[in-house]
Amino acid sequence: MKRNHRLILSLILILGASLLGLAIFRQVRANQPASPALQASPLHPPFALLDEEGKNVLESGQPVSTMRTCGRCHDTQFIVSHSYHSDLGFSAYTPSKSSMDASNGLYGEWDPLQYRYLSQDGDERLDLGTPEWLMYFGERIVGGAPTTLSRKGVPLTSLRPGESAESSILKNGRVEGWDWKASGTMEMNCFLCHLEKPNNQARIEAIRQGAFRWANTATLEGYLVQKNADGTYTWIAEAFDQNGRLKHEYVRIQDPTNENCGQCHGTVHTEKEVPLVIQSCSGEGATTGQVISPQYISASGMNIAGKTKLVRAWDIHAERQLKCTDCHFSLNNPVYANQKQEPGHILFDPRRLELGEYLKMPDHNFARGQSAQYNIAPELKGTMRRCESCHDAQKSHANWLPYTERHMAVLACESCHIPQMYAPAIEYYDWTVLKPDGQPQTACRGTDGAIGAEIASLSNMPFTVSHLVEGYQPILLARTNVDGKQLLAPYNLITTFYWVYEDKNGNQRPVRLIDLQTAYFQDGKYRPEILKALDTNGDGTLSDRELILDTPAKQEAVASQLKALGLQNPHIEGRIQPYSINHSVTDGDHAVRNCRACHGDSSRLAQPFKLADYAPAGIMPEMVTETNVKPVGEVVKGKDGAIYYVPQPSKASIYIFGHSRVQWVDMLGALLFAGTLLGVAGHGTLRYISYLRRPRKEIRTQRVYMYEAYERFWHWLQMVAIVILLFTGLIIHRPDLFGAFSFPHVVTVHNVLAALLVLNAALSLFYHLASGKIRQFIPHPYGFFDGAILQAKYYLQGIFKGEPHPFEKRPDQKMNPLQQATYFGILNVLLPLQVLTGLLMWGAQKWPQLTNWLGGLPFLAPLHTLVAWTFAAFIVGHVYLTTTGVTPLESIRGMITGWEEVEVHEEHH
Amino acid sequence: MKKRFPLWILGAIGILLVVVVPVAIFWPRQPKAGTDPWKFVPARPVHVDHKDIVKGPFATPQEVTRACLECHPKAAEEIMATSHWTWQSKPFQVPWRDQPVTIGKFNQINNFCIGTPGNQKKCMSCHIGYGWSEDQPYDFSNPLNVDCLACHADPALYAKGEYGNPAKNVDLVAAARSVGATTRNTCGKCHFDGGGGNGVKHGDLDESLILPSENLDVHMGKYDFQCTTCHWTEKHQVKGRLIADNYQVDPKEQVSCEQCHQNHQHKDERLNTHLRSVACQTCHIPAIALEDPTKVYWDWSTAGQEGRKDDHYVYLKIKGSFIYQTNYKPQYRWFNGNLQYRYILGDKIDPNGITYINLPAGSIDDPQARIFPFKLHVAKQPYDKVYNYLLSPITAGKNGFWTLFNWDIAFKEAEKWTGLKYSGQYGFAETWMYWPTTHMVQPATNALKCADCHGPDGRMDWQALGYPGDPAKWGGRFSKR
Repeated sequence: MKRNHRLILSLILILGASLLGLAIFRQVRANQPASPALQASPLHPPFALLDEEGKNVLESGQPVSTMRTCGRCHDTQFIVSHSYHSDLGFSAYTPSKSSMDASNGLYGEWDPLQYRYLSQDGDERLDLGTPEWLMYFGERIVGGAPTTLSRKGVPLTSLRPGESAESSILKNGRVEGWDWKASGTMEMNCFLCHLEKPNNQARIEAIRQGAFRWANTATLEGYLVQKNADGTYTWIAEAFDQNGRLKHEYVRIQDPTNENCGQCHGTVHTEKEVPLVIQSCSGEGATTGQVISPQYISASGMNIAGKTKLVRAWDIHAERQLKCTDCHFSLNNPVYANQKQEPGHILFDPRRLELGEYLKMPDHNFARGQSAQYNIAPELKGTMRRCESCHDAQKSHANWLPYTERHMAVLACESCHIPQMYAPAIEYYDWTVLKPDGQPQTACRGTDGAIGAEIASLSNMPFTVSHLVEGYQPILLARTNVDGKQLLAPYNLITTFYWVYEDKNGNQRPVRLIDLQTAYFQDGKYRPEILKALDTNGDGTLSDRELILDTPAKQEAVASQLKALGLQNPHIEGRIQPYSINHSVTDGDHAVRNCRACHGDSSRLAQPFKLADYAPAGIMPEMVTETNVKPVGEVVKGKDGAIYYVPQPSKASIYIFGHSRVQWVDMLGALLFAGTLLGVAGHGTLRYISYLRRPRKEIRTQRVYMYEAYERFWHWLQMVAIVILLFTGLIIHRPDLFGAFSFPHVVTVHNVLAALLVLNAALSLFYHLASGKIRQFIPHPYGFFDGAILQAKYYLQGIFKGEPHPFEKRPDQKMNPLQQATYFGILNVLLPLQVLTGLLMWGAQKWPQLTNWLGGLPFLAPLHTLVAWTFAAFIVGHVYLTTTGVTPLESIRGMITGWEEVEVHEEHH
Repeated sequence: MKKRFPLWILGAIGILLVVVVPVAIFWPRQPKAGTDPWKFVPARPVHVDHKDIVKGPFATPQEVTRACLECHPKAAEEIMATSHWTWQSKPFQVPWRDQPVTIGKFNQINNFCIGTPGNQKKCMSCHIGYGWSEDQPYDFSNPLNVDCLACHADPALYAKGEYGNPAKNVDLVAAARSVGATTRNTCGKCHFDGGGGNGVKHGDLDESLILPSENLDVHMGKYDFQCTTCHWTEKHQVKGRLIADNYQVDPKEQVSCEQCHQNHQHKDERLNTHLRSVACQTCHIPAIALEDPTKVYWDWSTAGQEGRKDDHYVYLKIKGSFIYQTNYKPQYRWFNGNLQYRYILGDKIDPNGITYINLPAGSIDDPQARIFPFKLHVAKQPYDKVYNYLLSPITAGKNGFWTLFNWDIAFKEAEKWTGLKYSGQYGFAETWMYWPTTHMVQPATNALKCADCHGPDGRMDWQALGYPGDPAKWGGRFSKR
């Protein structure tokens, strides 16, 4: 380009054109942004395009063979055989009578969102044969083994037309043969991922027309190297140099960019100046609503609720210039290679592939995560670097997140860093019915805004950009990683309903679209039988509301039509497929930071997640089982008739402070507390009444220095600690009742006070041991029961008559036998239990194994709560009994000043 | 018994301390916020209404000044010590000259209207002094020539005309009664219209800032800042130096973001890693001339053509042809606050190359320098083909180019002003002039984002800045990769 500019420049000079022109030109250049850094590989040499025979296409006029062309330098056979993108489950293909999935990939897996089905060998009815499978799914097939080889391993071109499903297609309801020799096959398409602007549209067009041989050639459309006149391609000689190689300025090879990946994998948006607009709720991107774009949500072109405040990128990693391939790298790329080092003491093995070796044989199996929806190449799950491989979460959360380790041990990073999806996502597909346009009933998540929903229902239109997008909070489900670790991670759940039948060969298969259409429609209109059964308001048309198989009668009407077509045992199945959400990540500022989002009654971890507006004929969908997601919840029907997934974290042994509560523990505790309160109130009232009725009697008293300074100090310190602990504990237990308190601060206070209490108790124990005063706390075995009965009788009778206490309160013997027994229990059982359970709950972050071994939080936390209730009840009784001194406040005064007025018991002297 | 001080109160305090101190130590804290910038924003005193104070009548503008000085005796003396009056910098010792030089409109040239000497009639409409003339040197020592009204009168009631004097028909009494503190409007009279019209010179200063929106300039729009809110002024000495008219600037004399935004780090640590190498302005002023266009190119060589249609934005017979731009994306250079070169009248040029009127100092190796946004103004301006220096023509006046459209006369007439000989042969050479971009600061939400600079479509020319490639990949200048 620059050379061109200079040429023009010098021409202008030579021609003596006005200085103005020159100056303007220079000026314009000076103000241009720096020329875009070339994406293209700086080293890739010019290359010739070769055909299948290895001849230059310019001479032969044949379609380009990527295997031959790129195979000149790269080991294309290695690449194809090391690529799950190319394989698509082909090598794992195993027909099955009972399972509708013949493989773990697009080649043979039943995907109810796509609905069309690659018929298995031995199926009675053909839905998609291999040729039509390629035409139907072409936009997501890069080419390779499944599009060049038959299941037996011979070239597809060697199959006779109509020999098997692999060389057959369905045409107007009849099975016809497909001539692979005529159509050619489709090699793995290197251009699709390694050109800056591959023409995927032209490629798809060629595939749809069955011109498989030309599909890769069509990808070059727009590069001015070939001409396409109605499907006839001719090569343009100007694009090639004298050696028959493509000129560098025409085609340049590059590493795959996000746009390349986005051709098949959902929403990628890189233009800075063009606002992002998503106009449909279908396709790969809509399975979750993930968007890979550095653009700020606030700058997008959609009608998103609260958009002006969403001043953050759709995806922080895209904003930070990461590419898909930075995480999903080629597994033998020496830059990223992630090998586990053996033996274990080796930290880094420098014996890596040289770049040249890698470039010759680059592994096209890419590092992958642990998604729930992609089942291909399960052996490669978890090969990717994850958040924690690059980020030190301990560091970044240290300043504000209490119990960081605990949170990380339970939650995947995505749970907080993907707080909300702001693009529409699919909620359900109901293929049990067909709308007049042949489409299923669907609903879109995150566009439930009143306006959006209303327009959609009134206009009967699919989702459009004018709708209000509210987004949705992903559901958090327990994911089991390859290493066995279980973490909560965000998902979308897509529910599908569809008809299944049993064919003559005993195979369970989805009802073919063509059969479903025949069952519903006749001459382009609903069949009269269908209309009669479903048209409840009798207006001759079927609205969305009527087009629901919500009664056995409606269901039977469709089923009988299907049976009439010869389908055995047609019945409805419903399934829920989780879709992992790992992209659309945001930074700490915009992540979930509010503790109460989870620690409260309306915890995110327990929010019901809507699955569908209804369950056709009451069929409850079931979660697919072949995933790493363990559903711990129930599918229930709500009062509104819609069905919901209700997570039950407790079933996954997850105890969420502030949210999880064991009802009977709280009931029992409250009962104990209320009982004590009532008993104390009753006793007090009786005492007061009897006091009023009783003649005044002179009691001989004396002032005694009852409590040493230290005794008073530790007592009151413990009092303060226990009261605050009870109160903060209550807030942690029921944060929603105490909205004014900040959860993390309350937790801190609770922990600090707990430590203080333990310390105080330990020092006091030392004091009592060292001074021998501990004896006061130990019940004397001899006559203990006599004394206890005496004391009990006093509380039940004597106290009302104004009798003196049965035991004298002396500095060296302050406690009566009942007190001794009570404190013996509190200090030996309750306090240690509370300290131990508390310590273990705190220790869930430090020594999770120990905590789990001792029952884990779901056991320890309720126990802690129960003991706390007991303490609360004790305090009520304790405070009440202080009023039984000489005067009601005398004992408290004694505990404050040390000096107490006590009855004089002559006989003890 | 004597009442003793209840010792238990000490115990209670002790218990309180034992509880409160550890809680306070472990209390979760938010990271320290930066110092509140409002702390540094000067209060704007209410100006005394002069309506009833000023009496007339005034026969000459100098009489107005005399009236002002009665109550503000030091005002003239103060302003006369500033470059607003002298139109010259302090003397700088520059490496390419033996003698110290001063730089300013008074004696040096730019690549817009070129030079003021000999053009007092027009140019001095922006000088704060009365009574200029082409026939005798200006008396810089006469305090009565100080034009108080230029900055302090209501611009609706006062304007300047020829030779620094008030425009015809100005009611001096009304103008004098309207005086008040300076506003964006009063400063803007000269600073928005520099170079011969609205927005011509700076691009980040134009009349759209008289009533700006938040998205034009967050300080002036959202918070209604006046110029002196940032250009702190003491004794008529206004803080802030224009690098075009200086060689080196003492940071103490310069306005900076940091004078209010102290310790103000971004929440995003990744952004903070930029602060050592990227000026605030670079991200927070993504573009200038957002509403009104600014001149980016001026070709004097086409001036004087007969029969060409005049259009303010394309061609004027008196000035030549122009290119204006709106939404101008700045040029980025390393900048340490000084110049490495300033064209001084008489400096030799290479007429076939680019002559820098000024060239910001700083490079990737200069730790004090940061990447800074500039407006670049390119011109074709006259030079002497024999002596190879730039010429400063006489434009205004009866023998000026704007009257006679004769370059030879315009250059010959200028000899006595510049002291530079005119050989009789002139040509036009390309000159570049850099204008630092510091106004039209955007709210944070409009600031540049990662992808604006980094990645395939970034706006930085990394190699021109001295990096081997995009520092996001190749590492920054302080990091070793």
